[in-house]
Amino acid sequence: MRVLLLSAFVAASAIAAVPSGAHADAMADAKAILEQHKKMPVFDPPGEAFDAKSCMAGKKVLSIPISMTIPFNVELQKAMSTAAKEVGFTYTTWDNQLKTDQWIQGVSQAISQKYDVLDVAGGLNPEWLGPQLTEARSAGLKVTTTHLYDVTQKSAPTVDYSSRVDFTGAGKVLAAYAYVQTGGKPNVLIIGSSDVLPSIPFVKAIQDELKALCPECKQKHLDVPVSDWATKIQPGTQSALLADPGINYIIPIYDSMSQFVVPALRITGALGSVGVAGFNGTPFVLDMLREGQVNMDIGESLGWAGYAAIDNIMRMICGKPEVAKLNVPLLIFDKDNIKTAGVPANFNDGYGDAHLDGFRKLWKLK
Amino acid sequence: MTTIDMPIQKPVSALRSRFTLKTEAERFALVAAWLFLIILFGILMPDSFLSWRNFSTMFGSQAVLVVLTLGIIIPLTSGDFDLSGASILTMSSMVIGVFNAQMGWPILPVLVLSLAVGALIGAINAFFVLYFRIHSLIVTLGVGTFVNGVILWMSGSQTISGVSMELVSWVIMGRLWGIPLAFYYALILAAVIWYAFEFTIPGRKLLFVGRGREVSRLNGIPVERVRATSFILSGLISAFAGILYSGMTGSADPLSGLNLLLPAFAAAFLGATTIAPGRFNAFGAVISVYFLVTGITGLTMMGAHAYVQNLFYGGALVIAVSLSQLVRNRQPQDFS
Repeated sequence: MRVLLLSAFVAASAIAAVPSGAHADAMADAKAILEQHKKMPVFDPPGEAFDAKSCMAGKKVLSIPISMTIPFNVELQKAMSTAAKEVGFTYTTWDNQLKTDQWIQGVSQAISQKYDVLDVAGGLNPEWLGPQLTEARSAGLKVTTTHLYDVTQKSAPTVDYSSRVDFTGAGKVLAAYAYVQTGGKPNVLIIGSSDVLPSIPFVKAIQDELKALCPECKQKHLDVPVSDWATKIQPGTQSALLADPGINYIIPIYDSMSQFVVPALRITGALGSVGVAGFNGTPFVLDMLREGQVNMDIGESLGWAGYAAIDNIMRMICGKPEVAKLNVPLLIFDKDNIKTAGVPANFNDGYGDAHLDGFRKLWKLK
Repeated sequence: MTTIDMPIQKPVSALRSRFTLKTEAERFALVAAWLFLIILFGILMPDSFLSWRNFSTMFGSQAVLVVLTLGIIIPLTSGDFDLSGASILTMSSMVIGVFNAQMGWPILPVLVLSLAVGALIGAINAFFVLYFRIHSLIVTLGVGTFVNGVILWMSGSQTISGVSMELVSWVIMGRLWGIPLAFYYALILAAVIWYAFEFTIPGRKLLFVGRGREVSRLNGIPVERVRATSFILSGLISAFAGILYSGMTGSADPLSGLNLLLPAFAAAFLGATTIAPGRFNAFGAVISVYFLVTGITGLTMMGAHAYVQNLFYGGALVIAVSLSQLVRNRQPQDFS
């Protein structure tokens, strides 16, 4: 009986020692998360197959990206346009330069030219066009968002379907990577931008995963609005490194922030000893990775993302349920596979082309 | 022209009598405020804030902003605004990105090219301002926006990484007493501008032109040539700031450098409240940049949010200029 009680006490103590949400074997769990995202992506159908050509016949889609001066949007729109061409419906990109009046003109154009779908893409928040989108819906248009919300976020009331991105999943991968690379002792500086809609759940996912993997480990969040990246990321990172020389990993959630993080590391003499990992797979950051200035970048093929976004828009028109998340795998680029991203790197190399065949079959094009 | 009102000229003896404690207090108030911040944050965070590493980091990382500020105070002194300074900085950086990182040209000719491009844009500003007699605010805003378009076109809206490590080494990795070399370039430039403004005939002409164009013209100063030179020098120095920016980041970004325009103007106006109050001056600009960055660094080290930095930046600018005005018995500002 005493042995039984003792065993029960030991077991209870062990359970109590692992805080709620913490991993029993954190290192193994973190490595398992990373392994899932190191493999060459395979196509996983986001829903049932449907005859896209017949239900999209004669339909018109107009997409307004947040700005066509951002390479990410240019590539995403290119892929969406290619996918629409394959299916055979009209797809128009409303070219603009991050100006509200241009977005409003785009909505008016969609209404007057009798488009069926109005898509707001690549970070354009439908809340900024509330009255215009309400008018568009009254005129019979369906409204979609592409690559804006995190999978945990709800769409605005003016939106019918959304292609949500797994920022939360990317956050877990980043936390796991920092954990593994620091031998289970991460002291992390997370750099976020709360003015970008999905940033809050993205940062929270990193913080929660770090806490779960290592409850006693230190982490700090530096919040810098997008308009201040050039003037505040570098001094903010420098100050954080000087205030806490124990910081051993920096996670700039959007990888383009790295161009301001790396100078901070250089100037404080921490380049090489402090790791950097981010999300987006932006070509110049992949180039920095190849040069050894950045350690890891989670990429998503924009060719793949474009097809997945068109898939969700067509599902709306064809009466199919909305997909839970944009069907784009997240791939880890590090020193082992960076050569596959191209020299110089681009938005599409390194991911394979499983999506082309996959979507064609899903849409019954072949 | 930025002149709002001409102060009444006092006789030399009256000016001498004004050399009082009050005048000196005004000259060095910002320096005192800077020292106060250092002591305050030093007491709060003695280990981290007072480390040499912290100061070397602050000095090195703000060199780009110091140089850009030094560039724009030249036309400000002659009574003109140059709102294209940050665009020239970004263009110079992009010239390095395209020609050095993408096309593989050796770094030295590319640096010469980027300086030449900066001077050329300054000359274009001068041409439109002086030939067509358009206000510098309008011309430099227009030319700056045009240049921004050219930058987006030539870069394909992409950030270009892979700038020569030689440049990175000359700017940030090379150090003297632990401080990146960029800081010394900025300091040397400030000393040259200070000397030119105080002790050379062209520098004094620049000041006279800013104080009163018609009076200068009547005294035989070639006003248009002086103003043209100030625009070209501003373009040249802004391009130099772009070189430092590329060396600092090791890349060229088509947009981010543009955000330095307002901080540069803030530093120029704050700098005009110290050392030589009421006049844009080189060391005043240097001190104001480091006063602001000291406050921001201290706040960030203490874990302040981003908005607190804005409160400090904006608040410090308005309060410092207002206090300076109180000391001057609220005389009308005559920045030139």
